[in-house]
Order: sequence, then C-alpha cells, then structure tokens
Amino acid sequence: MYLSHLSLTHFRNYQKLEIDFSGPLTLFQGENAQGKTNLLEAIYYLATSKPVHAQTEREIVDWLAEDEPIPFARVAATVLTDASRRPLELEIVLSQRGEGGAFQKQIKINGSNKRSLDLVGQMRAVLFLPEDIKLVDGSPGERRRYLDIALCQISREYTRSLSQFQKVMTHRNGLLKTLREQNARPNDANVAGQLAFWDEQLTAHGSAVMARRHQFVQQLEQCAHQRHLELSDEREQLALQYLPSFNLGNMSDADYARLKENRLDRIEPVQDNNGLTAEQLQPHFMAKLASRRGREIAAGNTLYGPHRDDLRFLANGRDLRTYGSRGQQRTAALSLKLAEVQAMTVATGAAPLLLLDDVMSELDAVRRSTLLTALEGVPQALLTTTDWDDFTPEFRARAQLFTVAKGAILPLSA
Amino acid sequence: MQPLAEPVTKLIDAFGQLPGIGPKTASRLAYFLLRSDAAIALNLATALQELKEKTLFCSVCHNIADQDPCAICANAQRDRSLICVVEEPLDVQAIERTREFHGLYHVLHGAISPADGIGPDDLKVAELLRRIQQGAQPASPEQAAASLLAQVHTSEVREIVLATNPNIEGEATAMYISRLLKPMGIRVTRLARGLPVGGDLEYADEVTLGRALAGRSEM
Ligand SMILES: Nc1ncnc2c1ncn2[C@@H]1O[C@H](COP(=O)(O)OP(=O)(O)OP(=O)(O)O)[C@@H](O)[C@H]1O
Ligand SMILES: [Mg+2]
Ligand SMILES: [Zn+2]
Repeated sequence: MYLSHLSLTHFRNYQKLEIDFSGPLTLFQGENAQGKTNLLEAIYYLATSKPVHAQTEREIVDWLAEDEPIPFARVAATVLTDASRRPLELEIVLSQRGEGGAFQKQIKINGSNKRSLDLVGQMRAVLFLPEDIKLVDGSPGERRRYLDIALCQISREYTRSLSQFQKVMTHRNGLLKTLREQNARPNDANVAGQLAFWDEQLTAHGSAVMARRHQFVQQLEQCAHQRHLELSDEREQLALQYLPSFNLGNMSDADYARLKENRLDRIEPVQDNNGLTAEQLQPHFMAKLASRRGREIAAGNTLYGPHRDDLRFLANGRDLRTYGSRGQQRTAALSLKLAEVQAMTVATGAAPLLLLDDVMSELDAVRRSTLLTALEGVPQALLTTTDWDDFTPEFRARAQLFTVAKGAILPLSA
Repeated sequence: MQPLAEPVTKLIDAFGQLPGIGPKTASRLAYFLLRSDAAIALNLATALQELKEKTLFCSVCHNIADQDPCAICANAQRDRSLICVVEEPLDVQAIERTREFHGLYHVLHGAISPADGIGPDDLKVAELLRRIQQGAQPASPEQAAASLLAQVHTSEVREIVLATNPNIEGEATAMYISRLLKPMGIRVTRLARGLPVGGDLEYADEVTLGRALAGRSEM
C-alpha cells in the first residue's frame, strides 16, 4: 500500500495542496501551527472516514472557504496497492447544503459514489500522536474508539456489525425509555414481545463486535508484550486485558468478578479461549439481558454490550492507568500502536501507512531508536517534526524532506 | 426595512412546516407564486383543498381512497384470503404496478421505530388483527345481508404477506406482526429479498447477495 499523491482543497489551513510522494520515508518539518498535524489528519480522514480530533466534520473545512458560494473541503489521494495494477483513487468531499445548512459527505472510489463502509479499509493507516498516552490513562470510550478504528480498517464485517449494533441500540434505548414512561412490568408478555426482536438483533451484532475485539486484543497483546519488553530494557511484562460488561462465558463468574476488580493474575490465562466466537457468546448476552430487563427498563438504557467494554493495561501485573508513571504509560501506548501495525499487516496481508505526528520529541533515546527500527522495511511512513535534529542525519538522508509553513509545503532544497 | 406583507409571511411559514423545506426554500416558493401566473397559485390552492376534502382513508385497508371501502377492497375479483401488509400507501402503488398481486392490502402507516417513539400502537396493527379475526368468524345473517362493507369483512384470511421495508424498522415490524399472527394459525410470508434487476452480481453488496443466496429458488 503506497500513497503516491495527495490533493487537498480547503482542508483546514490548506487552501490548495498537491503533493507527490516517493520512497518509503517522508519527513515534514515546520514550526508550530503551520499545518503538520492537519496534513496527517487529512490522510487519516481518508483512511477512516472519521475526523481525528474534530467533534463535527464542518470543523475541518477551511474557515476562509466560508466565503465561497458553496463552502466545501476536499481530500483526494492516489494509492498504489499490491492487489491491483490500477491505482486506487479515493476522495471525500464535504460540502454545505444551503446557507448555514449541514455539511454533507460525498465519498468516491475510482470516481464512483460509495458509502463510508466501502471507503474504510481501502487505504489502511496507523496514526501515532503525542496524545496517544490517553489510550492508557484516558477514559474507556477512547479505548473503544481506538479498537473500533483499527478493526474497521481490518474487517468490513466488523464495520458492518458495529454500525448495525449502534442502529439497533438507538432503537432499543428508545423502546426502553418508552417502557419506563409506561411503567411497564418486565415480565409482561407484551413487553417481552416488543423487546424480542431488538434483543435478538442487539445480541447478534453486539456478540460479533465483542468476539472480534476479544480476539484482536489477544493478538495485540502478543506483539505489544514483545515491543514493551524491548522498550523497557527487558524489565516490564505488558499485558492487555479485554474487559467486557458481562461474563462472555469463557470463565467462571467468580473469575469474571476477580477480573473486573483486577484481582485476577493475568499471567495465568483463565482458560484457553482463543476460539471464542460470536455464536458461543450470544446466548450469554441474551441471558444477561433477560435477567436484567427490569434494571434496563428502569434505566431506560441498554446497560450491557460492546458500548460498555474496556481494555486494561498491566505492567508486571499492575494496572498502568492507576499505577503507571507517565513514561510507562507512554511506552505502553507506543507498544500498542506498534502491535497494531503488525496485527493489521498480518490480518490484511499488507502493511498499513504509518503516520507519525511529532512523536519523537516525547521519547527518550531508547524509544526513539526502537521506533525508528520499527520503521525499517515498512512500505511508507510519513513523519512530522518541529526540529530536524529529532532525526539523525542518516535517517534524513534516506527520507524525502519537506518544510511546512502556513499551509504550504515545499521540498527542502539541498 | 419594510415588513413583508402578511399573506406572504403566512405562506412562507406554511411552506416552512413541510418536511425538507427550510426558511430559504420556503421564501423562494412563496415569491415564485407571488410573481407567477395566478392560475398556478389557484390550482395549487384547489389541489390542497381537495386533498383534504375529497380523500379519505379506507376503513378496511387504511389506504388513501376516494371512497370507502376503497376500489381495491370493493373489487369482488380480488382474492380476499390474501392480505399484503405494507408500510405506506405508496407501497401499495408499487406492488399494484407489478400486476402480480391479486389479494388485498393493509397499510400500517409507518413502521416500528422505537428511536422515534413509534411503537405498534402508533400503527394500524390492532386494525389488522381485528380485520383477520372478523374475517375468520362466520358471518351473521345481519352482516351477510348488509352492505358491501360487510361483505368485505367476511371472507377468511389464509395468508398474510409481510411487505414492510427490508431495513431494521421494517424487519422489526414484520417480526412483531408475525409473532402475533402465528398463534392464529395463519400462514405468514415475507417478501423475498434479492438482487436488483439490471444490476451486476459483481457490484451487489454482501448483504444483498447473501440474502439472495439464502432465498434462492428451484428452477
Ligand atoms: N478549519 C480550519 N480552517 C483554517 N485554518 C485552520 C482550521 N483548523 C485549524 N486551522 C489552523 O491550522 C493551524 C494548526 O495546524 P496544525 O495543527 O497542523 O499545526 P502543526 O504544524 O501541527 O503545529 P504544532 O507543531 O503546534 O503541532 C492553526 O493555525 C489553526 O488555526
Ligand atoms: Mg501538530
Ligand atoms: Zn381498502
């Protein structure tokens, strides 16, 4: 997978940008607030069809474009793949419908209109940010979002299950609220009748999501464990624990309770559960819903499912979120990202595009060199920095070099 | 700035209440009518008035009609043992255009959509059940002797075709109704979902293709 050309129009502070890439390494240098992050964000947007930071997509449209007759932003890329001789043309256009109206997203692949579902996974990318540490010390929602973005790029099946799950849950929550307003009794036949379809759908799609996450976390752990050892000078054993909102049936209830309270020694696997499938899991999900119907009606909300999942990071058995130092947390986040690159490569047969935004400045010498070693042999990595000296002259000699200033990008003249 | 004449603002407000029409489009439409030939505005006015005065809902199938029961329900040639359940009146039109269906219809006026607060009670589901139960009972002499309306009610229903949309709301509605009907011993069927004609197999999405495979038929 290789991004050979990028074209931006009215994307954040880029009014117009056309840029060609060659070689595996590209390094962008620029002062603060010049557009380095915006550039990588644009590429990641095309990979995931979701804005990285922006809460709403209209934020990414250049402010200056508001004066255009029709305000819009466009990101387009040419991607070379192993699978096909013909380059892939990917494009997202966000444009405003009517004055003050909502922004509408139009996606094209090789010139024809497609859905987000079709775009995600075409050009796979892993983004490294200074704030990745939030994956360890931030809220569970950030970790779920992280897993989702990675898995959606890997598996269309997952993207579909996740979007179906969300759709079903919105309906189910609506129904639970209605039932709460009606003071409905959980054991009433009519209540069961109305919930039956939604329970079935929720558990079918939700189980698919959870089974995939469970498997993915195990995959990530294997590789992250290795990377973390290297980064910590062989001192720290990193473990990742997938924490679902109910016992998926792959352990005893007592063990599940210990797992939730972090009293379970992770180093000893509870049981061989590599093969946990959605089909095995669904009956446990159904049973949970059936036994908690009254509670869910009282809450007017779905209380169990992938939307309540979490992920725990342990170093030598200790929860890094509560006990980790900043350095340990940063190392774990970096190990996780490197593991993601490998998992994605294994799952799809092609290495993703690596986007590294100003990550060197946060790292000490050991971690810098581990990271740079990881870049060896990847088909393409795009990196940004404020300071050329974050990179060795040898590295710079191998990379394509650009400077970024005020939304314009120029090749560095020798 | 001079305030707009009241009839104009009134019309703009009226247009603004229609779905999909924002303030800008509303004023564009109003100014268009203001400037254009009087006949256009008068035609529209009459059409709007007649819409409410001259149409009604059929008391049997709940389709839009100009008489009660509607032309389809009143047609003695149609198979009364077969009822096709659809979400909207437009769906009746679509199925009628196929000329393949000779039974009767039942229009639900929507689909179950809990996220929008729409449950079975907001649809014509109870009416469907009543219709089937009435049909199953032997007609009393009074009923038999009575009007066309009574005749419409009296034949036994043997099959219900659920033709709600193949989206999550339509599926929820179909599932809910079939759960209610199954114990009554009536055959309940669902429209087969397949590939669009004229489409390439290569470009069909996995869900459509998967469903078409699952619902394949003998040749
Ligand atoms: N929608 C937008 N329209 C125009 N300009 C924008 C928009 N969104 C952000 N900007 C501008 O882009 C600039 C920030 O760019 P970016 O975040 O890419 O900087 P950077 O080069 O990564 O800087 P740093 O080194 O500080 O991370 C800011 O000056 C900001 O005002
Ligand atoms: Mg930045
Ligand atoms: Zn009728």
